Amino acid sequence: MSVAVFDFLFDGNPRKISVETRDGILVAREGGRVLEAEVRRITANEIQFRFGGRSVRVYLVRDGERTFVSVDGREFAVSESRPETGRHGEGDEKTAETSFRVKSPMPGKVTKIAVVEGEEVHKNQTLVIVEAMKMENEIKTAVDGVVKKIHVAVGDLVDSERPLVEVEKK
Amino acid sequence: MFGKILIANRGEIAVRVIKACREMGIGSVAVYSEADATSLHVRLADEAVPVGPPPAAESYLHMERILEAARATGAEAIHPGYGFLAENAAFARLCEERGVVFIGPNSTALELVGDKVRARQTMEKAGIPTVPGMTSVSTSLEEFRSAARVLGYPVMVKASAGGGGKGMRIVCDDDGLVPALEAGMREAKSAFGDDSVYLEKYIEEPRHVEFQVLADNRGHTVHLFERECSIQRRHQKIVEETPSPALDPELRVRMGETAVRAMRAAGYNNAGTVEFLLDKDRRFYFLEVNARLQVEHPVTELTTGVDLVRQQILIASGADLSLRQEDLLQRGHAVECRIYAEDPKMNFLPSAGRIAFLREPKGPGIRFDSGIYEGFEVPVYYDPILAKLIVWAEDREAACRRMSAALEDCVILGIHTTAGFLKDVVNHPEFRGGRATTSFVGKFFSSWGRGEGEEDRERLALAAAAYDALTRTTGPKGVPGRSGKKDGATPWTTLGRWRAGGET
Repeated sequence: MSVAVFDFLFDGNPRKISVETRDGILVAREGGRVLEAEVRRITANEIQFRFGGRSVRVYLVRDGERTFVSVDGREFAVSESRPETGRHGEGDEKTAETSFRVKSPMPGKVTKIAVVEGEEVHKNQTLVIVEAMKMENEIKTAVDGVVKKIHVAVGDLVDSERPLVEVEKK
Repeated sequence: MFGKILIANRGEIAVRVIKACREMGIGSVAVYSEADATSLHVRLADEAVPVGPPPAAESYLHMERILEAARATGAEAIHPGYGFLAENAAFARLCEERGVVFIGPNSTALELVGDKVRARQTMEKAGIPTVPGMTSVSTSLEEFRSAARVLGYPVMVKASAGGGGKGMRIVCDDDGLVPALEAGMREAKSAFGDDSVYLEKYIEEPRHVEFQVLADNRGHTVHLFERECSIQRRHQKIVEETPSPALDPELRVRMGETAVRAMRAAGYNNAGTVEFLLDKDRRFYFLEVNARLQVEHPVTELTTGVDLVRQQILIASGADLSLRQEDLLQRGHAVECRIYAEDPKMNFLPSAGRIAFLREPKGPGIRFDSGIYEGFEVPVYYDPILAKLIVWAEDREAACRRMSAALEDCVILGIHTTAGFLKDVVNHPEFRGGRATTSFVGKFFSSWGRGEGEEDRERLALAAAAYDALTRTTGPKGVPGRSGKKDGATPWTTLGRWRAGGET
């Protein structure tokens, strides 16, 4: 028998789930919940679970730091979290108590900047338009505040990690 | 017949055309941008020619470079696929001037139907019903404003050169008009190089029904029945099917005849599609002609047995269309789901990146038209379509079930895709009941995948277990069941469910 307790990050959200096997039967626990299932490994990328009269196939692959998992048509990026890791992949990042960095949720090209530094903005107001794969995506602020700093210019190619605009929360 | 065809496109549609060429004994020439050097269409074609840097305007839309590639390789014809140069009359004319056959309609007809405003005028003259709207494009805000008031809100901003949802915006009041016009014009400019837009009355909750037409160069025109394309997000289709659950035989005949009449009025040849809106009272309006092979053409192929790409090539080579209207029949039911590189949990934001794992669905009645492979890096520059999953079965219910199972078998890891979302769409009671309209996605799926119910917790537990099994290859994990133990039963035993509070 072996037990492993993981602090997982599922699409950036931290979860603590313990996994153990007893006689080939998997027991997963999260908080007070328990899932028991029989495990069958089909290939290196495909695992079948049987429980409660159901059979579910899970597909997964490791790509660098992350492991991608597909369960029932839902995809998760899973990694083991380290204590110092924050909420990654969450788009916006709280830099200090009062300042918000608005990031592009996907790689693309900046086609319009709708605000200027020093401008007062309201929650859900469009700050920047990023075009990706031929569609315009309006990047909005999640808070009321004042535009502290604009980090990009029209025509810039941005990836999903680069901050676009810093908004000082009111 | 042509000895060699250049395919002025990329992705799954370029692959589709290359396969048709191969079957017909025609050589294929792929073109590619710097971002696509390792793309599937480049790998599959007989020859491949680089045509410029990643932005489409400097590669796939660069007419001179494409024509030069045709000249250099000795291709006698160019298949434009859909998007890019497919509905570009200037390109069709340039091909005609250079003595290269454009596999599509003649440039005059293309110009006419490509100009949505002139197309409407032509159809009105031919006695074909159209959606109320502006009869000319404008640049004056005052004209737009007064037109919007006359039509009555909500109205729709549409790109004159439009298609594929690009440049389209719904406007509900005066305040929304200017931002919608600006956004529509910017998007139209970047997608088509033409920023002219106009307004149309927005018909609420319509069904989107289109008719496939084939016409040879001598005017013999037939329709190959309808496709229903009501499941859309951002005005772009994601699920298509045929036959439409909304048509009865009488309406089908009437709409089909209207489609043929519309194409004749436009002097159209080769393959094209007449789009109609069908309102709640079963009135239909001419919307536009899609002067190209469409993304959703496979559902027509599976139900009529006609290979549309082959027919396009035959017609372009000057052959007479051998199909007669009375010979064409719909058999069974076909459904197509478009697999996009988008995150359905995040308002369908595009998701570029590396495909780390790919499992293609297979089986009876299943077709997977794909432009990807495992290890492929999906570039950020182009339309996010990855592949199309098309199924055929005897009836609609069987086709939906087949689609649901096939979507489950369609696994793409490393980027976000719409596959799981589509499975839930196909299994939704409104869709199963054939009642879905164009507002279906907004109505039932606006917060898809965001909540966290019992099922989601269960999925997370399984994901964690799978991760554990993958990470730790030693030990009893991953070994099928009871190693060494034998009790004569199946390797499976039924075990407990997800249960609250328990100790085991």
